[in-house]
Amino acid sequence: MKKFTTLLLITLLPLGMLFAQATIKGKVTDKTNNESLPGANIMVLGTTTGTVSDIDGDYSLQIPDGNQVIQVKFVGYKPTSKAITIQKGETLTMNWVLDPEVSELEEFVVVGYGIQQKSVVTGAISGVKSKDLESKPIMRLEQALQGRTSGVTIAASSGAPGAGATVRVRGTTNFNYSDPLYVVDGTPVDVGGIDYLNPSDIESIEILKDAASAAIYGTRAANGVIIVTTKKGASGSMRVNYHTYFGTQSPAKKLDLLNATEYATIRNEMLVNSGGQPLYANPGQFGEGTDWQDVIFNKNAMVQNHEFSVNGGNDRSTYYLSLGYFNQEGIVATDISKYKRLNLRLNMTHKVNDWLRLGNNFGYSHIKSQGALNTNSEFGGPLSSAINLDPITPLYITDPAIAGLPLYNNDTTPAVRDANGVLYGISDVVGQEMTNPLAYIAIHLGNYGWSDNFVGNLFAEIEPIKGLKIKSDLGTKLAFWGDENFTPLFYLNAATSNSKTSYSRSNSQSLMWNWENTVSYSKKVGMHDFSALLGATAYVQNSRGISTTYKELPASTFEEASMNYNIPDANKIGSGWESPDHKIASIFGRLNYNYDQKYLFTGILRRDGSSRFGTNKKFGYFPSVSVGWVVSKEAFFPEVDWFNFLKIRGSYGVTGNDNIGDFRYLPTIGGGRNYTFNYDGLEIGYSPNAPANPDLEWEQTSQSNIGFEATLFNDFRITFDLYDKSTTGMLQPIQLPAYTGADDPTGNVASMTNKGVELELSYRFRVSDIEFDIKANGSYLQNEVTFISDGVDYLSGASFHNSGYEISRLMVGEPIGVFYGFDVLGVFQSNGDIQNHVDANGNMIQPNAKPGDFKYADLNGDGAITSDDRKPIGDPTPNFSYGFTVSAAWKGLDLMIFAQGVAGNDIYNGLRRLDIAAANWTTAVLDRWTGVGTSNTFPRVVQGSVNFTNPSTFHLSNGSYLRIKTMQIGYSFPKNMIQRVGINNLRIYVGANNLLTFTKYDGFDPEIGGSSYGIDRGYYPQARTFMAGINVGI
Amino acid sequence: MKTIKFILMIMVAAIALNACNKEWLETEPRGTTLEGNYYKNADELFAGLVAAYDPLGWEVVSDYSSKVGYLNTASDECWAGGGGFADRATWEAWNSYTLDAAVGPQTDFWNRSFAGIYRVNVLISKMDGPEMDEALRARFRAEAHFLRAYYYFDLVRLFKNVPLFTEPISPADVFDVEQAAPEAVWAQIEADLNAAIPNLPLTVPVEENGRITKGAAQALLGKVILTQNNEGRMLEAANLFEAIHTSGVYQLLPKYGDIFRPDNKFNAESIFEITHTSAAVGYWGPWPPAGEGHIFTQFCGPRAYTGPTYQAGWGFNPIIPETVNLLKGDPRYASTVANIDSLEQAGVATYEKGYQNTGYFIQKYAPLKEFFGLGVGEPVLEWPTNYIEIRLADVYLLAAETFKRAGDDGKAQTYLDMVRNRVGLPSVPATLDNIYMERRLELATEGHRWFDLIRTGKAATALAFKGFVAGKHEILPIPIGELNGTKLKQNPNY
Repeated sequence: MKKFTTLLLITLLPLGMLFAQATIKGKVTDKTNNESLPGANIMVLGTTTGTVSDIDGDYSLQIPDGNQVIQVKFVGYKPTSKAITIQKGETLTMNWVLDPEVSELEEFVVVGYGIQQKSVVTGAISGVKSKDLESKPIMRLEQALQGRTSGVTIAASSGAPGAGATVRVRGTTNFNYSDPLYVVDGTPVDVGGIDYLNPSDIESIEILKDAASAAIYGTRAANGVIIVTTKKGASGSMRVNYHTYFGTQSPAKKLDLLNATEYATIRNEMLVNSGGQPLYANPGQFGEGTDWQDVIFNKNAMVQNHEFSVNGGNDRSTYYLSLGYFNQEGIVATDISKYKRLNLRLNMTHKVNDWLRLGNNFGYSHIKSQGALNTNSEFGGPLSSAINLDPITPLYITDPAIAGLPLYNNDTTPAVRDANGVLYGISDVVGQEMTNPLAYIAIHLGNYGWSDNFVGNLFAEIEPIKGLKIKSDLGTKLAFWGDENFTPLFYLNAATSNSKTSYSRSNSQSLMWNWENTVSYSKKVGMHDFSALLGATAYVQNSRGISTTYKELPASTFEEASMNYNIPDANKIGSGWESPDHKIASIFGRLNYNYDQKYLFTGILRRDGSSRFGTNKKFGYFPSVSVGWVVSKEAFFPEVDWFNFLKIRGSYGVTGNDNIGDFRYLPTIGGGRNYTFNYDGLEIGYSPNAPANPDLEWEQTSQSNIGFEATLFNDFRITFDLYDKSTTGMLQPIQLPAYTGADDPTGNVASMTNKGVELELSYRFRVSDIEFDIKANGSYLQNEVTFISDGVDYLSGASFHNSGYEISRLMVGEPIGVFYGFDVLGVFQSNGDIQNHVDANGNMIQPNAKPGDFKYADLNGDGAITSDDRKPIGDPTPNFSYGFTVSAAWKGLDLMIFAQGVAGNDIYNGLRRLDIAAANWTTAVLDRWTGVGTSNTFPRVVQGSVNFTNPSTFHLSNGSYLRIKTMQIGYSFPKNMIQRVGINNLRIYVGANNLLTFTKYDGFDPEIGGSSYGIDRGYYPQARTFMAGINVGI
Repeated sequence: MKTIKFILMIMVAAIALNACNKEWLETEPRGTTLEGNYYKNADELFAGLVAAYDPLGWEVVSDYSSKVGYLNTASDECWAGGGGFADRATWEAWNSYTLDAAVGPQTDFWNRSFAGIYRVNVLISKMDGPEMDEALRARFRAEAHFLRAYYYFDLVRLFKNVPLFTEPISPADVFDVEQAAPEAVWAQIEADLNAAIPNLPLTVPVEENGRITKGAAQALLGKVILTQNNEGRMLEAANLFEAIHTSGVYQLLPKYGDIFRPDNKFNAESIFEITHTSAAVGYWGPWPPAGEGHIFTQFCGPRAYTGPTYQAGWGFNPIIPETVNLLKGDPRYASTVANIDSLEQAGVATYEKGYQNTGYFIQKYAPLKEFFGLGVGEPVLEWPTNYIEIRLADVYLLAAETFKRAGDDGKAQTYLDMVRNRVGLPSVPATLDNIYMERRLELATEGHRWFDLIRTGKAATALAFKGFVAGKHEILPIPIGELNGTKLKQNPNY
């Protein structure tokens, strides 16, 4: 709009000044980004003489000679003026650098189906602007949010290249599915994730946190809505931008594992404690042994990024075209941990005439990733193996006597060799899924997954009369994905071998389309400002896939594998699947009203119908209201310099969720309950699926929010929110007792609350020539499961190795996923201690314990340690999340430090396999109990004891951390210097990512998201990256 | 412009109407059928019957749950074994009698049987629906009754106090269920078997091998009566066992070792067999893993073994030396015990000595190289071994026991002699002790021993070395999750 005004002004520009006798000329630019400002007003004060800067920000003005005051004004910038003395006929160059006027009023916020002036927004919305993301090492959208806004808890699922993150807006709202809804340029892209998006294409991200903001997306908005707007072109001259960075990544931390000598010593002690004989006569002979971590970690893994964009346009059309390429290697097992992404984007708008506007946003991405590392799993993978393998086993076998052993010479399952034919060592003491990591890598070489995504929308908008807009928007996401895997013959150890080659290929695709039609009308009558929106949408999504596996191919590597080989049909295994249409039909309306931007009101009602519910319950209604009061606009509000703005707001609303499988409301029959008659007469059995629940309905999350926004000293801003969110009728499997014999049906059961406080602060100030910008945010969150189902007060949660006890639970009165186990009181120092650990009747509670074993609390007082002596022992979800950014700029130099952290959570340390007695240890074991007074926290090492297999407080660590996430120093070359070579801006920078992490947790990385939230089973740590980049704009 | 405005208005209206249209939101399920449209013909009833058989073959319920493996573990025949201590916590819990409500084999047994009972009850409720051959309907119904009896027989022996269902439970009543008196469960089992016997075929065609026969139902009913330990009913049980003998359908195989070969399934000695195949593709990923293979074969093989005859297994159920010693010199030794230690000492094989290793492994279900990888999937999940749940020698020994307890020493002697003669052993007096000893030798590691010890009251003595506590460990605890929100009561002392 601003640009449009500019263009109008240009056309009205006076053609010449008859009485002019001198000339000033120059350029008007924006102080913050050095971009030229077209449309600025240059006036001779006290006269009507003036002009407007052209499309490049240049101007030239004939003025009367003598003493004059020249003033430059531009909407959104502080006016500036300067007195000059000019001679007749003289030409003076005057460049103007305008300072943007920082005012709440000019800021707009993207809300559902439109934008709103920030000052009249009544909901709780946090946002991130492209300005905060530019030139930052942000590989995925989630990283743009972490630590930059309040109310969002983010934990990376893995440090692997391209890995996503667990994103929770105002806590976890559902036991199973709490991912927010992503809406990109108006199109919901909830299926298949948002990793297709190139972060540098993002113009802004807004998080609709409270129900009143999210209710416009009633459907599935219960988990919060994240609105992403991609960059658009701007009219004016064509701008070309290129940004690249290169970086080197390394692990920030290694575990302190035992070396071979220490290992052999501990292993001997363990065997002796277990009544056996020492295995290693002379532990010292093994020296340091093999450092398996060195084998898998890459201290120089490459990352590079290229972004190229062109944007521009005229008064009719604008365009934004970008091309991105991102390539990252993993720091763990780099040969099979890689990620490449190619992006293309074309966004255009066309103003056909003064009442019709057309446009499109179109994005394409191609991703290829390798990552068969099976991390954060106790069941194998290079990382878990590196932690658990004994350091005595050599990496390579060079001794011919060992290489001649039968286990290295099996034809059907050959031992794995490196490229030079050297055998990889196989541990003879640590087995199961723990295998030589290099051999593991060798048999996974080449395997990859891929995806192609086309996401875009087309829209047409007409404005038949001023203020009335009718818009039709058709959005679509067409996704294709698959993988290719070859498994050669191999023998990694006794438990892990393969005697048949196999080559598999899978292809899947998903189509989503979403058609939205809206009518909006805005009208201002005096101080009354109304706007109304009415809309309807139809949403359809389905997916399908096939996969084929060829067995016993005559190939030994991925490169040799091909489906062109003619193999017997019996060795071809095919399968396929499809999902039925998931349909949602919605109508919605919104009314905004404000009086003099002082009293604010927004009301929303949305009705959604979903194909996932039965005839009686198809539709759900999601209402919300929110009100605001801009106190600072009141007459009684003191007019002082230091208190500029105050708005108090409150909201209440209801949002929903239909995230369950299809047809849960119908009684259906399922196959696959098979049995065999005679030798191979496989019969397919059918029996009812889970009992139907015809009364299934929308899950509802209601939320109240109160908050305020204030501005002090012009530049110090405070946003505060307090919320209370309650999910009821949660769509959940109803865990029936197993004696019913049926699968669990889905029902509207379970309730959960999230209560929290959020604070965002920002301050911009200047100390002499240095400009500072400080942003900070913090969130406090308290989650509680309040109801599961009638009579049921807990559900079992995560399992761990072969421990018979679950390690977490969903429990009424506790936060979601609370860790559950035994309470360790200490270590028995002596037989006397064991005899003194007695119940009320004086009977020994742990009569079978030995000195050095854990002393457990007998919580139920029954005189024995049983399954009833477990209790909630920790919480994986942080209560506090916070982040802050400090930026400083001095002349062309800029410095930025961004840190982020969490507090109030626990990590379950599951790095060591419980069932492999010979697995390696961290050096914590060196402080174990070995006699009276040696340790009260680490028990004796012995086989066949529950000290380690019982889930207990012993396995928990404080999960709080503070991380210096990004640090960057940049330099922007002065305009006048680079413009001579035709460059508008040029910035170079160096930086570091994940430079420092302060934590008490002794695993690789305290940030553990993903499906195994807060449980460290060998988590792929995030890399520490050093990088250098350059940004050129012409 | 007015036209465009008009068109757009129509579009908005159309979508708005659409949004109100319930029909647009109705989608039809594909690849599945509504329950109301199913069980409409004999084929669909048969598919329901197959589903009722299915839990028999579950090798993984929530943990590795081989019935034979678990029972071996609990008995004095085998240790739990495996890679390390508590490789499978549920096995170790029964191995050392440290089981509690949360950890032990109970969930696996409980869930398997109740899943089977539910599928039977659904099937029986649908049985009268389709138009079909009445004899076939009667046979399906008889098989369903047998299966329900089988599942309840396991439940009542293992848990004693269980809820009794003879029809699918309505969702409203789920949490109001209470445990039935054990007598009522026993009575239902007998009623089911008595209903089944008349309508089951004496023999089945080859392609139906594995389906339930009259002999299987008679043998099971005999066992059910015997297990209730009512001395007054011993003859009743004995006559059932004798009917199997006199039917002429079954013969003891001349070579003992042939009984268990995966290429000699459904042999003349086999009365009720639980089937497995390598024809269904097994693979890791889902839990339980995919496939219809016999995973216990993989479980009980020598760990990390390289050498002749066997494929490497996972080292579970090493045989306790006392059992091995009893068998030494017995002609059945080589078909019962795989002496891997001796192979290693002879220098032809190596293996990893896992937890509780004794060097002796189970031969009857051993992972033999020749049956490895016959399918196209993951070979360790595709062993084609079957369990013979009831075989003729077992029935003969039960006949000997019941005739003995009924006072017919002559018949007792005949049946005991037949079992010993087959392996070339001379007659011994048919005392109960000798009959029980013969059961140990003949049926070692086949999963009978623990039930025999319990029903004869010998468990407390025989299993004291494992930590068995009389008055507690005769039955398993009710799984902890089944007490959550229900009216079920935990078994005593758990």
